[in-house]
Amino acid sequence: MSGGIAILIAIVLSVLGYRLYSKRVDREIIQADPKRATPAVMYQDGVDFMPASGSVLFGYQFKSIAALGPIVGPITAAQWGWLPGLLWLLLGVLFIGWVQDYAAAMMAMRNEGMTMGGLSYKFISPRARNILLAFMYFYLLLIMGAFGFVVAGLLADPRVPIGFAILALSGVLAGYMTYKLKRDLIFTTVVTVLLAFVGVWIGQTAPAQSIIKAINGGPESFVLYQTPYGPMKFSVWLWGIIALGFCYLGSVLPIWQFAQPINYTSFWLVLFGIVGSIVGIILASMGMGGVNAAYSAMPAFVAFNIHLGPLWPILFVTISCGAISGWHSLVSTSGTARQLEKETDALPVGGGAMYMEAVLGVLSLTFAATSVGLYDPAQNFKLTAGAGAVFARGMATFLSVLGIPQDFGAAFGSIFLAVMALTVMQLVLRFMRIASAELLGERIPAFKNPHFGSIVAILFTLLILWTAFWQQIWVLFGGSNQLFAGLALLLITIWLARDGKPHGWTLWPGLFMYFTTVAALLYTAYDIFFRKIPQAQAKGAAFVIGNGVAGLIALFLVLAAVVLLADGWRSLQAAERGVPASGGE
Amino acid sequence: MAEAQLREEKRTFWERVKGVVADFIYGMATHEMARQALKTRGSMEHLFILITMGDLLGIPILPPYYSLRLLPYVVPQISTWKRRMLRERDLTDALA
Repeated sequence: MSGGIAILIAIVLSVLGYRLYSKRVDREIIQADPKRATPAVMYQDGVDFMPASGSVLFGYQFKSIAALGPIVGPITAAQWGWLPGLLWLLLGVLFIGWVQDYAAAMMAMRNEGMTMGGLSYKFISPRARNILLAFMYFYLLLIMGAFGFVVAGLLADPRVPIGFAILALSGVLAGYMTYKLKRDLIFTTVVTVLLAFVGVWIGQTAPAQSIIKAINGGPESFVLYQTPYGPMKFSVWLWGIIALGFCYLGSVLPIWQFAQPINYTSFWLVLFGIVGSIVGIILASMGMGGVNAAYSAMPAFVAFNIHLGPLWPILFVTISCGAISGWHSLVSTSGTARQLEKETDALPVGGGAMYMEAVLGVLSLTFAATSVGLYDPAQNFKLTAGAGAVFARGMATFLSVLGIPQDFGAAFGSIFLAVMALTVMQLVLRFMRIASAELLGERIPAFKNPHFGSIVAILFTLLILWTAFWQQIWVLFGGSNQLFAGLALLLITIWLARDGKPHGWTLWPGLFMYFTTVAALLYTAYDIFFRKIPQAQAKGAAFVIGNGVAGLIALFLVLAAVVLLADGWRSLQAAERGVPASGGE
Repeated sequence: MAEAQLREEKRTFWERVKGVVADFIYGMATHEMARQALKTRGSMEHLFILITMGDLLGIPILPPYYSLRLLPYVVPQISTWKRRMLRERDLTDALA
């Protein structure tokens, strides 16, 4: 198997799935009607509801759903071998992933543009909404922890920080030029994107690296303290704080001043990276550039049980995006459904973007499966470098086919990944502070202060960053993410049942995701409390807090999911009998 | 309307592809920025209407004499403004 063939298979299967299955569901079950007025048209208020064309929303949806999940998940899951990950990406998106993204958008559209909170209140119960919101806070905390680890590791690489800082400054400049100087957007884009590329180049030069090495406390940095899972280097510790400081600015500053223009400038780098890598893989698969595109870093299948746990259920949550993701239901209901101009746009936007994300997942899997030397055969193909390092190396390798130097490509790949993560982290931190103000603001007025809410969320994140084992945090994040998807599918099923439509196509995928993720969360919590922590204590390690907290969060999420399923199941049965909902109607 | 439809039908396949790709890139790169700017403007307008026309929702802020003087200028927006003000919202709306 080569990377080019894997990507080709992914594209062909996506096109077939879209034409033969998705379109049929859209036509025969949902019966999307281009003449039916959507909330964006009916309630157009210039704030929450604004119609936009389908192809614009396709880009918007893809940008909003594609973050670190489809990149880091397949790289981590490659430890089971490349075949299980590839199969889950392809079959997952075909039978579950697009179903959730598309149907969530349709459900919101047919219910006056309600978001997940309102929908759970309406279809399940008032209690369901409160549980869902508490669930979301911890889910977001796990996103911060899982993504924060990757970013801290990437920024600790001396080739990365200066390039990243120049990119961020270019973004701020883009905002200033657009909103204050009122300069032409094309001119602004050319200037700031060029500046960002020059910044990436400057960052990987020897003088720039020497500055970062001095800040890191030496070329290899130094060990600050021992965690149960290995040494905590000063560089990772420090860059974790700096990354969260960056997110803090994104959370409290006006969005047009900081987060948005940086995301805008970064977008062009991300686009270049994705297109360049795909072209590079295809050319390398045709034997050009002298680059290995064959899946030779690990066998197709390593073992059912690896150090992360058994293939079922852990692999299905390790690949936390690309096949399916609960985050997408939030984007589909809160953002996209309120902008769709025609019902018939929901499938190409929701479903199409999801199929495209699966191709991005296969691209990352290709980076992993061709990275010989980063998965150690002596340790059962355990990932010995960070997932970010695998990605950066893979991108550098395939960009080199286009004549881009490897050093520049590696720095570029790391910055690409850091940007993908930080884009979501800024949004998540902003949302966490709003959530804490909403949930706790009445009891503890300090939470109404945006700075206080942001700092509390950052402190929780640092606790996880500094004291936990990343791969386990990633699994917990994936578990909560996929569990959210299972709950979204349950909600969709209830909606379909209330409308008297066939709902097996959402119920069975939803139940599969639900039980798989609950099993994964319970397994990981068990592993933390009964294996990892006792082992760590036996070794005399002091820091076991992060994983302990994460384990407790996992148990809370399971408990919340059990209550939601019980309430949801009752509502589903009532809907199947034609009885009005017990919820907020 | 019919003319626009005719023009759309006359577009060649490649012109359509070019349009879709341009829209896709716009959607990824700039749509969120444009939307945010519109949202900010819309929110400010709604806040202004709340201050001046609060009486319509039972929140008297400005004396009715001045509200009545301003009423003709905000009439077109009153229905969408009222709907947005009175719509129940929760945390997940903050993601929109």
